[in-house]
Amino acid sequence: MTREQTNLLQGTLDLLILRTLRLGEMHGLGISRRIEQITQGTFSVKTGSLFPALRRMQEEGWIKSAWGESEANRKAKYYRLTKAGRKQLETETAKWERIVLGISRTLEAS
Amino acid sequence: MTKKRKLRWLSRAVSFFRNVTGRQKDELDIAAEVSAHLDLLIEEKLRSGMKPDEAERAARIELGGVEQVKEQVRDARAGAWLDTLVRDCRFALRMSRKNPGFTAVVVLTLALGIAANTTVLSWISATLLNPIPGVAHTSDLVTVMRGDRTDHPTPPFSYLDLRDLSERTQTFSGLLGYHDDYMSLTGVAKPERIYGALTTASYFDVLGVHPILGRAFLPEEGTPPARAAVVVIGYAVWQNHFAGDPQIVGKTIQINRHPYTVIGVAPRDFTGCAPGLRAELWIPLSMDRDVWGANRPARRGTFWLNVLGKLRPGVTKNQAQAELNLFMRGIAERFPEDHRDSPNEISLDPLWRSPFGINGYLYKVLPMLLGLAGVLLLLACANVAGLLLVRSVGRRREIAIRLGMGASRQQIIRQFLIESLLLGLLGGTAAIVITRWTSHSLVAFFPPSNLPLTNDAHIDQRVLFVTIAVSILAAIISGVLPALRSSSLPVQSVLKEEATSVSLTLHKGRLLSGLVVAQISLSLVLLVCAGLFTRSLRKAQQSDPGFEASHLLLASYELSPAGYTRATGVAFNQQVLDRLSALPGVESVTLADFSPLSFSIHTDYLQIEGYVPQPHESMEISRALVGPHYFRTLRTSVISGREFTEADSPESQLVAVVNQAFVDRYLPGEDPIGKQVTDWGDRFTIVGVARNAKYRLLTYPAEPVIYFSSYQVYSPTDDTTIHLRTTGDPRAIAPSVEETIHHLNPELPLFNVNPLSVTMQLGTLFGRVAATFAGSFGLLAMLLAAVGIYGVVAYSTRQRTREIGIRMALGAEQGGIYRLILGQGFRLTLAGLVVGTALAVAFARLLKAQLFGVSETDAITFASVGLLLAVVALLACHIPARRATRVDPMVALRHE
Repeated sequence: MTREQTNLLQGTLDLLILRTLRLGEMHGLGISRRIEQITQGTFSVKTGSLFPALRRMQEEGWIKSAWGESEANRKAKYYRLTKAGRKQLETETAKWERIVLGISRTLEAS
Repeated sequence: MTKKRKLRWLSRAVSFFRNVTGRQKDELDIAAEVSAHLDLLIEEKLRSGMKPDEAERAARIELGGVEQVKEQVRDARAGAWLDTLVRDCRFALRMSRKNPGFTAVVVLTLALGIAANTTVLSWISATLLNPIPGVAHTSDLVTVMRGDRTDHPTPPFSYLDLRDLSERTQTFSGLLGYHDDYMSLTGVAKPERIYGALTTASYFDVLGVHPILGRAFLPEEGTPPARAAVVVIGYAVWQNHFAGDPQIVGKTIQINRHPYTVIGVAPRDFTGCAPGLRAELWIPLSMDRDVWGANRPARRGTFWLNVLGKLRPGVTKNQAQAELNLFMRGIAERFPEDHRDSPNEISLDPLWRSPFGINGYLYKVLPMLLGLAGVLLLLACANVAGLLLVRSVGRRREIAIRLGMGASRQQIIRQFLIESLLLGLLGGTAAIVITRWTSHSLVAFFPPSNLPLTNDAHIDQRVLFVTIAVSILAAIISGVLPALRSSSLPVQSVLKEEATSVSLTLHKGRLLSGLVVAQISLSLVLLVCAGLFTRSLRKAQQSDPGFEASHLLLASYELSPAGYTRATGVAFNQQVLDRLSALPGVESVTLADFSPLSFSIHTDYLQIEGYVPQPHESMEISRALVGPHYFRTLRTSVISGREFTEADSPESQLVAVVNQAFVDRYLPGEDPIGKQVTDWGDRFTIVGVARNAKYRLLTYPAEPVIYFSSYQVYSPTDDTTIHLRTTGDPRAIAPSVEETIHHLNPELPLFNVNPLSVTMQLGTLFGRVAATFAGSFGLLAMLLAAVGIYGVVAYSTRQRTREIGIRMALGAEQGGIYRLILGQGFRLTLAGLVVGTALAVAFARLLKAQLFGVSETDAITFASVGLLLAVVALLACHIPARRATRVDPMVALRHE
């Protein structure tokens, strides 16, 4: 992925992760699989993108992490939304809807 | 929104802090998470039915490399840039330690280039930017000048004119007037001549200087005719003569044998407000009558005060100038008699180019030197850029490997720039060390003089700050080209190359050649400037000043502080001449109230019979009081008429001698002998015409001068300087001169006993400063350019070892190889000389005003400098060329 694409898609990835975590806490692989599942494979999140994004969002204060046990009793780090994260999700969603609306109107008009 | 942004910022800041401090814990955490993730992936694959080894392989492929993921997480965390910075710096330090020779050369080159700038800057900072030591803010202070700006202005205002202006002005919050003069501190263990000032009461208030002890003048103390015998003493006087006595305020001291009450001690740094001159005593100007018996404050036509004004906030210089002009015109109309002979137009100057004091000269010389230093720095940067470029070729594999491993171009550029920044800062540090020494070198140019010249150039905050900025700038200038070049390597082909067969790509070779051409051309510019200044100085020194300086001893004394009156003073002077002329080894002896080429000649406003001045033409003319036989002693020939003799006495007819320039200007085509000249109401008859002699600067054309006999005219406020022509070494006779004067009056201090050839160095001060520094910059530039061209030719020769080996194996002769290498250097030199000549012609045009007797396109200078540079450059190429001829083809071909 080149730098330009990352910048463009970063916001989208954040939105997807926040949305996924709204359902409850989840570990990294879980988030990644969940996104694949929901988008029916349109977005496949690579580990190299996922973890830096999680890291950054943690530092922004949108999500929190804690070590826990997976279903198969394996150690895993679980992420959950914070209050700031919920707010961010609302903002991002609203923003996204505005963009989508704008773009579809443009497409329809021509 | 803002609150949210603040919170986010806070959250990032906390993370930043945690990342920087909890480094190890964080690393473990990242590692644990990535490995846990891998485990989860493997488990997932196993569940989908893969075999264990298959599952692990698939999981690792999906993960995409444990280390890479970790690195990406590290890059995402707050403060990642700090990590990379520290890492890059560490690497840069390691690189510079690994290659100490290279580092030393680069650091030294940059240090010399930077030090040249910081040295000149330390002077500019101490003079132009800090015109009044001890007064921090001088931006709203201006000098008030009456008449056209000249290079040797005389005090422009009378006390009464200044008083009227001060009372009426709305644009200035205050005006101050002062008259600098020597005073004698008497009644102390060791009487000393101290430069001081007669000032208006407003002096300290307008400058904003507060005495550290006691107080400044009260308004009534400085207002004639009231007289208050009070004095503010300088810090040095307080320390040296009164041992820093804390009870000094209120005590009485003696100045010129009169008692004064000390009312204050000036702050340590403050030495008066004439830039470059050190004053240490301040008394109200109303005391003039008591001390000098002149009562100048009472006379409206006596222009003796220098004036500074403090502009009110928001007032521009032009508004203030317009206002003062209006008032001055009014004054001139009310008192036409006093203002007829001199122009009354007011001009205001900021202090950095104040016509009074040393800045009036330095403001032309120093910026020019800074320009030359800037060129030197540019050359040093080109030199370092060349060195860095050559080294980067040697690091091609390293860079290619980094690029191959996934480093981005930005990372490589950053790494290179940080390396050159490190070198730049090391160079800057070394430059500070050099400047600590060189900043004091300006003072070394001051010859012994009757002027209290002072210069306190040192590394101040401003200089330090600029040094750092210049170091960074130099580092970027010299580092950016190699960085850009190196980061755009064709990775594949470089990695395929054999380490030893790395050769210059054509492109890089061209860049290197360009840098060499730049160095040669810049050093040509500097050498041409150096040559022009040196030749100009030589011309000035060899020019005929109109007198003969060798075998002349000068010695000065001051009569009025010693209690002499007009009658006793003239008698004393006669005695001095009688006794000295009787000394063995003395050819002739005379007196004068000035000495040539030491900025000490006075001026007066004259009326000349038969000459009608233009409206507003200044009739301020250089005026010399000289003793009998002055012209014979100085060997300035008298063209017609006669010179002064002992027979010219106060009782006989008042006579004058004028110089040729005076006749040419005011009495062209007439017989000047017998014409009348009026000075201060006294009528003088011209009895002689002398050859032109230069008394101010050797580089100025001869100006009109009128001479009066010191037996007829007595000036109480001026020094008397003995001029003694000796048959042998003038220094040898100094002790007997001092003894003779001491015998006549044991209490009269004799000062500045020096040969004229020494004191007249003041007249070439600025020429010597310019020639010396332009000269050293030029030599330094030549050295750098020589090293630069040597480096590049030697390097490319080494790269061509194989080619040379093949040529020799195929039968090329040693002479052919020699010419091949030398030809390469010669082409670069030639290109540099052509570009440099064009630059030098443009640059030298700026120096035109500073040159004397030499055209700015002086062919001799250009030709000899070009030749010198060509020879030096070819010598530098000779070494690698000789080495190339000794290449053994067998060894060279097996070189792989």
